[in-house]
Amino acid sequence: MSNMGSRDDLKAVGIDVSEGDVPGRSKKARSKKAPSKKAPSKEDSVSAGFGRRDFLKASGFLVAGTAMGCTRGPVPEAVPLLEGTPEMVPGRSSWYASTCGACTAACGAVVRSRDGRPLKLEGNSLHSLSQGGLCAVGQASLLELYDSQRLLKPWWRGEATTWEKLDTEIEAALNAAAASGRSVRLLTETLHSPSELAAIARFGERFEDFQHVVYDPLSTSAILDAHAATHGRRVLPRYRIDAADVLVSFDADFLATWISPVEFTAGYRKARDLSGEPPLMSYHLQIESRLSLTGSNADERHAIHPAEMASWMGHLAAELGAHFGEGLAQLKPPAGNAPPPVVAMAERLSKARGHSLVLCGSQDLSTQILCNLINHLLGNYGNSLDLEHPSLQRMGDDGALAGLRRELASGQVEVLLMRGVNPVYDLPGGEELAAQIRKVPLSVSFARSRDETASASTAICPEPHFLEDWRDAEPVRGKLSLTQPLIRPLGETRGFARTLLTWNGEPKAELDWLREVWKREILPLASASLSPDSSSSTVASESMASESMASESMAFEKFWDGALHDGYVEVRRPAFEVGPFDGSALELVTEEAGGGTHRDGLSLILYPKVAMLDGRHAHNAWLQELPDPVTKVSWDNYASLAPATAAELGVEEGDLVKISKAGGGEDLVLPALLQPGQHGAVVALAQGYGRLGTDRFAQVGPLWLESEPTVEAGGTVGSRVSDWLDPGSGQLTPVVHGVEVTAVAGHQRLARSQVYDDREVPEKLRPADGHPRPIIQQASLAAYTEDRSAGKPHGHFPEADLWQEFPLGQHHWGMAIDLTACTGCSACVLACQVENNVPVVGRDEVRRRRDLYWMRIDRYYSQEGENLEVAHQPMLCHHCDNAPCETVCPVLATVHSEEGLNQQIYNRCVGTRYCANNCPFKVRRFNWFKYAHEDATANLVLNPDVTVRSRGVMEKCSFCVQRIQEAKISAKARREELAVDAVKTACQQSCPAGAIVFGDLADPQSEIAQAVADPRHYRLFEELNIEPSVGYRRLIRNRPEEEMGHADPHA
Amino acid sequence: MRARVLTLILVVGIALAALATVPRFAQLRGPGNNRGYEPVQPLAYSHRLHAGELQIDCQYCHSGAQRSRYAGIPSAGVCMNCHKFIRAPRSAVRAEELAAKEEGREPLRVTSPELAKLYQALALDENLEPSADGEPQAIRWARIHQLPDFVYFDHRPHIAAGVQCQKCHGPIETMERVRQMEDLSMGWCIDCHRDPFTSGGDAGNPVASTDCVSCHY
Repeated sequence: MSNMGSRDDLKAVGIDVSEGDVPGRSKKARSKKAPSKKAPSKEDSVSAGFGRRDFLKASGFLVAGTAMGCTRGPVPEAVPLLEGTPEMVPGRSSWYASTCGACTAACGAVVRSRDGRPLKLEGNSLHSLSQGGLCAVGQASLLELYDSQRLLKPWWRGEATTWEKLDTEIEAALNAAAASGRSVRLLTETLHSPSELAAIARFGERFEDFQHVVYDPLSTSAILDAHAATHGRRVLPRYRIDAADVLVSFDADFLATWISPVEFTAGYRKARDLSGEPPLMSYHLQIESRLSLTGSNADERHAIHPAEMASWMGHLAAELGAHFGEGLAQLKPPAGNAPPPVVAMAERLSKARGHSLVLCGSQDLSTQILCNLINHLLGNYGNSLDLEHPSLQRMGDDGALAGLRRELASGQVEVLLMRGVNPVYDLPGGEELAAQIRKVPLSVSFARSRDETASASTAICPEPHFLEDWRDAEPVRGKLSLTQPLIRPLGETRGFARTLLTWNGEPKAELDWLREVWKREILPLASASLSPDSSSSTVASESMASESMASESMAFEKFWDGALHDGYVEVRRPAFEVGPFDGSALELVTEEAGGGTHRDGLSLILYPKVAMLDGRHAHNAWLQELPDPVTKVSWDNYASLAPATAAELGVEEGDLVKISKAGGGEDLVLPALLQPGQHGAVVALAQGYGRLGTDRFAQVGPLWLESEPTVEAGGTVGSRVSDWLDPGSGQLTPVVHGVEVTAVAGHQRLARSQVYDDREVPEKLRPADGHPRPIIQQASLAAYTEDRSAGKPHGHFPEADLWQEFPLGQHHWGMAIDLTACTGCSACVLACQVENNVPVVGRDEVRRRRDLYWMRIDRYYSQEGENLEVAHQPMLCHHCDNAPCETVCPVLATVHSEEGLNQQIYNRCVGTRYCANNCPFKVRRFNWFKYAHEDATANLVLNPDVTVRSRGVMEKCSFCVQRIQEAKISAKARREELAVDAVKTACQQSCPAGAIVFGDLADPQSEIAQAVADPRHYRLFEELNIEPSVGYRRLIRNRPEEEMGHADPHA
Repeated sequence: MRARVLTLILVVGIALAALATVPRFAQLRGPGNNRGYEPVQPLAYSHRLHAGELQIDCQYCHSGAQRSRYAGIPSAGVCMNCHKFIRAPRSAVRAEELAAKEEGREPLRVTSPELAKLYQALALDENLEPSADGEPQAIRWARIHQLPDFVYFDHRPHIAAGVQCQKCHGPIETMERVRQMEDLSMGWCIDCHRDPFTSGGDAGNPVASTDCVSCHY
């Protein structure tokens, strides 16, 4: 039984226990005590010169020593539940379907619950959007549930209070506002929860002047506004990446942070499926200014200046217009000639009319209108863009936000409610905004911590974590999911809808309201498909009516149970009415869009990072430490500069640079990072850093003589850059032109988890024959179509084998990772961390290369400039059959299992680290310290099925052996054979691209056996004869053969 | 002279202090030397009576053994399945009935003092209805069979393989108060796993795995 969190109780009990409890223990204690008690009197008589003070010193010493020997260890207790429930068996995990609440994408999740607490979030494969994947942020959001610094009580004017008192105060203020007709404003992030929207509608009815303003810190408002202009409705299309054979993305980082990355990654994978005959692969072009994760996966990539984005789009529209012979009278012809890549792009797109897609991440309205025009010309609306059942994941309206800010500035707002947003941090001019919020008579924040906005508000009404709450979500029209609580709320928090309804004088528990809304609004949409026989009961007798009432309520229970079980349900929402493409919208395309000219100085772009997004998860240590998939830096933001630009400025990596706006304003000093693939006239900064309260990480790492704190006390992790967002054009634009970057004195070593970048082995390290090792094997699609083993190096390996054949048992576990599918999103890295209790080590230890990830993603660059190639390679223990680590361990702490696992036995390990030195993959990690485990609340997140390692032992990937054991044991308990592919490792489960296959190599039916038989399969370091159990499938790129980089000159 | 005396005292002192810590180190016990541990339990529950005399199946109460890693200690609710009706030993009830007959009065309700503790834990009143003023309180049993944290033992495969409970827990059905019989050391586990008669394999090829990761991960 888990006795976590009750250690203090145990200790207290241990002291109370009578001496006779532990036979053998107390007797020993007494017999050792006896001589020591006599001792002082003997000593006393030794010498006359032995004074009173000396005697006291000596006796004190002895008494202390004796007392030390007298303490007894705690008697372990076993405390069963008073009343058991059939579902809750101590030590057994159950999985419940829910919805991830980490961002507005609302992916489907299943949550593992054991002994009454949620322990792991995974993707829900029944959810048609996320399709079983879950990103790193979603998985890490579990840690925030067990955040001991979370607000667990409501606050009123800077003091903790009770809900009763708070409600009285707020209700009085709201009643006054309702009576006087003064303005009440609700500011939220994108909301697509039907129950919450219903509660807001109910709440807003009372007020004469009520307005619900929505904004997204990572705004896509321009897309919605562009559709309002071109299609007559403010709507965000649902992008069907899977339906696009040619995919052009203008600065949309859709595989990492843009709108719904998990859904898009699944679609991307689907459109790039090599298993067919002939192999199908979409053609992905990325046009961007920095190197994004999405760009790193593109088949063709162009780094252009952000000011050129509009002109490229204009040229593309003109080219396509000319191609399809559609007169674009309203479109001002773009200046100059179309750049050659645009001509080729137009050619390629026009061939894929109806099954192509152009995405645009720009916040410039003109560019977005042009993008709509292009998609319209290509006939993509209705095919790869769905406007009738659109995405509801980003509904932010920057125009409305600007209106609210004007109202706030003029002091017109009487009541301001802020939910899911942190405007003081998110928006430019935050301090000014904080002052304005302080002046609002009643400002309420629903934040879970005393963040920037909450500290400026009158009241804080903390919401529960989504794992403690009943909610729902509708990320795409007609596709709904439910969120159910997995734990009793850890504090006195209250759901948003419930709070609003309470203030409305109709308090309702979260679940009651949710069920009411679903019965009223959702059931009618679903019932058509649910109960086809219900229409037959048309006879209007009274008994029949009551019967139909009863059957209706039964139908609802059935529907509800099904939806709750699956966590996901599809209903028939009527299609959105949108107009046809309206060419007159092109009038809105400004002159500027036509001809992009470079301006003076550099252009600054702000971008979200995979782990940090808009900064809402900045208090999550797992996410702070997760290396950026491209730069591999954790714990910081930095100024990304192209290497050539950095050379011009005379800065090297880590040197501080000052960024200053042309029109004045505050300067920003950040360390520089050299980023290949970035446009020369661009400096890129990550958002989400510099959050208030991140100084909690001051002690995150181990404390020792040379340790440096991750963050100074009172400081923040990274720097806030939101003030650089430009709201000038009516949209929150993350681009600022004409900034000046200058080198300043100082250096800050970045915490990079990977210090090599190049796939080519440096000259001095090359093997004697001069060939670099074929670590990343790749081929072009054309070569692969011809020859399925294209890309295979032509070397042959020594035949001699000194190893004895290892007798294997019933199973032989193995893994294959598809490098074509892998996007490098790092969901697997975090999944592994959560599952296997991998500690956070802090910035200083990452710098010392002592991070403890069992799974990392190696990122390689090859070639330069336009042809820059990036490869992502997940790297974990390869469980070699001839494992080099095993032969060097002097204490047999790492040995082979009969199922082919390379076992690491912590209680045998003495920490020689020979194994790590002999590992060709460098995947063994050493515990240099006992990493902090003092926070009793945070410790609830630890997986009780995996040992928490202590100082001085080696650790590494175990192939999630706890899951293998669980699957084997539960099959055995059912007296069945282990089913094919019954085991899923944590990394495999969460991969949004399905790139990881794990299973029993000895079972020919298994997925892994088929993966190994694929001619694309290869293993690393085969020349070393280590026989790894992990293999890769070659990276196939859809690019011309002559542009491909070749790691192996033999190929 | 003074320095010598101080040195002497110091040396003796250190020696004695070191000696005094011996019991403390003696507590750093490896698994295995807890054999014979027989703590007093908060309720004097008798396995001899329930498992021995009344022959209640082990898994009636310890139902976790076939569903989970832990056999578990039954919740008080499981006790109440029977003790809703049985409130005292039969002999005590009979004695009261006889006494009542002799004295010509209605027999009083007899509640055994140990069961009274159970009812108290559940905050039940005289009539075994939830009492208004009581707070339910968990029963804190003293744990006896405990493996170190780096071992992941699972009851399920052992139950599935037909290993008798008594194989590891000793003749529980004879114990008034439970006592640890086996030493639960790794060697003791491995002996059984290697033994083809207990593990169900043939000689030299036992079915039970002896891989490290069978128990350590």
